[in-house]
Amino acid sequence: MPTPEQLAIDRRAPLRVSVWQVRWRRFTDFTRRYARNRMAVIGLLIVLTWVVVGLFAPWIAPYGYDKTNYNAANQPPSFAHPLGTDALGRDQFSRMIWAARTALIVAPTATVVGVVLGVFFGLLAGYFGGWIDEIVMRLSDVLFAFPGLLFALLLAATLQPRLAAWLSQFERIKPWVRAGYVEFFVVVIALSLVGWPGLARLVRGQVLSLREQQFVEAARALGVSPWRIMWQHIFPNALPPVIVALSMSMGSAVVAEASLSFLGIGITPPTPSWGAMIYNEFASWRSPSAPWLLWAPGLAVAALTFAFNFIGDGLNEALNPQDRLT
Amino acid sequence: MSQGDVLLDVQGLKMYFPITEGILIQHHIGDVKAVDDISFTVRRGETLGLVGESGCGKSTTGRAVLQLYRPTAGHVYFDGVDLTTLKGEELRRMRRRMQMIFQDPYASLNPRMTVGDIVGEPLEVHGIAKGKEKLDRVAELLEVVGLNPYFVTRYPHEFSGGQRQRIGIARALAVNPEFIVCDEPISALDVSIQAQVINLLEDLQAQFGLTYLFIAHDLSVVRHISDRVAVMYLGKIVELADRNELYENPLHPYTQALLSAVPIPDPEIEAQRQRIILKGDVPSPVNPPSGCRFHTRCPVVIDVCKEVEPEFKDAGGGHYVACHLVH
Repeated sequence: MPTPEQLAIDRRAPLRVSVWQVRWRRFTDFTRRYARNRMAVIGLLIVLTWVVVGLFAPWIAPYGYDKTNYNAANQPPSFAHPLGTDALGRDQFSRMIWAARTALIVAPTATVVGVVLGVFFGLLAGYFGGWIDEIVMRLSDVLFAFPGLLFALLLAATLQPRLAAWLSQFERIKPWVRAGYVEFFVVVIALSLVGWPGLARLVRGQVLSLREQQFVEAARALGVSPWRIMWQHIFPNALPPVIVALSMSMGSAVVAEASLSFLGIGITPPTPSWGAMIYNEFASWRSPSAPWLLWAPGLAVAALTFAFNFIGDGLNEALNPQDRLT
Repeated sequence: MSQGDVLLDVQGLKMYFPITEGILIQHHIGDVKAVDDISFTVRRGETLGLVGESGCGKSTTGRAVLQLYRPTAGHVYFDGVDLTTLKGEELRRMRRRMQMIFQDPYASLNPRMTVGDIVGEPLEVHGIAKGKEKLDRVAELLEVVGLNPYFVTRYPHEFSGGQRQRIGIARALAVNPEFIVCDEPISALDVSIQAQVINLLEDLQAQFGLTYLFIAHDLSVVRHISDRVAVMYLGKIVELADRNELYENPLHPYTQALLSAVPIPDPEIEAQRQRIILKGDVPSPVNPPSGCRFHTRCPVVIDVCKEVEPEFKDAGGGHYVACHLVH
């Protein structure tokens, strides 16, 4: 707390406070608080590294992801092929790099779609209550009744061929279907449909306790509209758990995508995916065995998952002004 | 202070909170009668003090007047407009003219908004000022309530209770209201800070011609700030009179008991002071006593009190009281 002397000095200074000064101070505060958490910074670096790797895959990867070379099949690691080659002679190191794209497209989109749905329905259900609440919560109960991965599997398995067949009628879209975009779309839909009910419940619970808070009543007394109360007063206060959940589900979406691909339902070859690569090694009776083909994609999935979780923790601390040290 | 026309006219206000039972099908098994048929008026520019012990319905009255709770019955005329008939957007626009200052300065400020956003929000939602103009006005308001304008970028948790209460006051003042409900605005503050906030409220009243409904349980504070005082007991107003009249000539036995509890800062008088000690607890507002609600604890109870509810009427000179012994 400033002393009276400090106040007096401040008062004499000319008053100039711009909107941008306020915003800039908030932003620098936020980055400073985030940087205080070392694991969060490491997590961010890991994710950024994978993003860069994914973005520049064509330049970083020594070979194309579907480039076969039957003369160099089933090779152990060497200088030409750091992670060896598979039965079709494809360079595994290059496929690892290309697969970062798959993971970083599917996991964030699925999570963001899921979180947007969850936050929207959770806020509606919690704030307005009544029949809106009933409908949203019963729907989420129904979705909750299925085991998550199984439901995603079911959705992906039934949706994918039908959607692909239907879209193939259109000449213009056909090449995209061939290129495997439908698979991406279906996996994203399946994972976000599995993800939103949990978030909706979380947000609803937060809203139910927040809407009784006195500052919400104060906002009503001031004449703030319900919509604005929802987004300006309740939503930011419900954010920390949502952000933690977002990062956690980002991590678990990476795992879920890998699992679906491992089971052969998600992203299918030749499009590379870490899950499918693990399956490939699992399914081939290769002798001598090639453990690096399991380890490399497995570690990649684990690193990305951990990184997302660390980021979540860091964001949570940085966004919570109560924990702020003066 | 000018004692002008009536700004707020409350008639037969009732606020019942239903008690329900059952999981799927809710059975209505009773009501908490927090406020049960009260009427009073507040004149423009005056301060009406509302006192009573915890749970007697003071705060509920304030909230029902502002339509933060929709009253079960009764009318609240604000400058001639019946607030109980207004809904949605109409009511929202009306809120520009009436504001509230809350008891708990820790809970009533959004912890995720800066002081600038908190004080500036009413300006924005009522379309009064935006952007640079808004910031200027916020700085001006902070100065009016005695805070450093540079605080706009800070969060509520960086302030003390008294400073937070000043932020709450600045927020209420932002829209230039005519009427402010002060819901125990000083109860949560240190004694040294209480005087500052009280003086601030008085200065603001003089400066902006505000009308206050001042809810408190501290009788000395109410005596200091109010022009007229209403005493509540178990959801009813039992006595309402000019400040001096009420404190010097209390007619209702409950008021007498309340006033006898105020200590006097003089050891000799204090030693001789007669205290009226009430027996028992306040009855439940779910099932209030028949007749006069105070009869279970009244030291001078007579038979009629148990049967007939006393009428709330003028005992002469605008001194309203609800007691069979008076009428």
